[in-house]
Amino acid sequence: MTTTGELVASVHINAPPETVFPYFTDPGLMVRWLGSTATLDPAPGGVFAVEVGDSAARGAYLSLDPVRSLMFTWGMPGSDTLPPGGTTVEVTFTPVDGGTLVTLVHRGLPAEHRQSHQEGWRTFLGKLATAAAAGRPSSP
Amino acid sequence: MPEPARKAASAAAPEAPTVDAVLKALADPHRRQILRLVQLSALPAGQIAAQFEITQQAVSLHLTVLKKAGLLTERRDGTRRLYQLRPEALRPARAVLDEFWPGALARLKQAVETDHPRGDDPRP
Repeated sequence: MTTTGELVASVHINAPPETVFPYFTDPGLMVRWLGSTATLDPAPGGVFAVEVGDSAARGAYLSLDPVRSLMFTWGMPGSDTLPPGGTTVEVTFTPVDGGTLVTLVHRGLPAEHRQSHQEGWRTFLGKLATAAAAGRPSSP
Repeated sequence: MPEPARKAASAAAPEAPTVDAVLKALADPHRRQILRLVQLSALPAGQIAAQFEITQQAVSLHLTVLKKAGLLTERRDGTRRLYQLRPEALRPARAVLDEFWPGALARLKQAVETDHPRGDDPRP
């Protein structure tokens, strides 16, 4: 399913982009849906850090175009498969029917470069580590 | 959102590890490195430990965590114990991965719509 090194997900939210966008830039709003602690400096080059317990996802904002789109990097400290800044997440906010279509593309996952068995496995481990770090639905 | 039933961590049998056990096992760089070492062929514990700067005892503990999560098979070869990756144990975790961003966005939708309820029909 996710063998191309790119992962796409989207959701329609019954609120305008002006309402939804801050959930990606305000730490208090971010932790309503992602992670337990967030340190965010929403400016190009500013820190993007989300943590759950002793795990962490770290990166930096690359660009912000309120309230249309933003990009940030994503990775894990100490990970050789997915170092901080190692992959890129682009989020776009499209007004649809009075609400917002949020589309998220996670790019640069290592499988993009090489598709060998080994590399696919490394990619998988790196992505799993990210998922584990950023919080699971079963977390209280 | 369906909530998987939580089990006592110690109750996870090797043949039926929980997704939590698998994810926790993978959330450590040393354990991921161990899995890479034994993905294609079985290795004895000593040869695995030789790849690390941490103590053999620490490696042994990592092997136990991976075994309990069902990620490693262990077999005897004379006096040695050989360890190898059990890829099928990754299937439930793989499902969690595929659901990571969709799951996060579903929580985002719930948060926004809870914080900003609309009584009226949003469609023009």
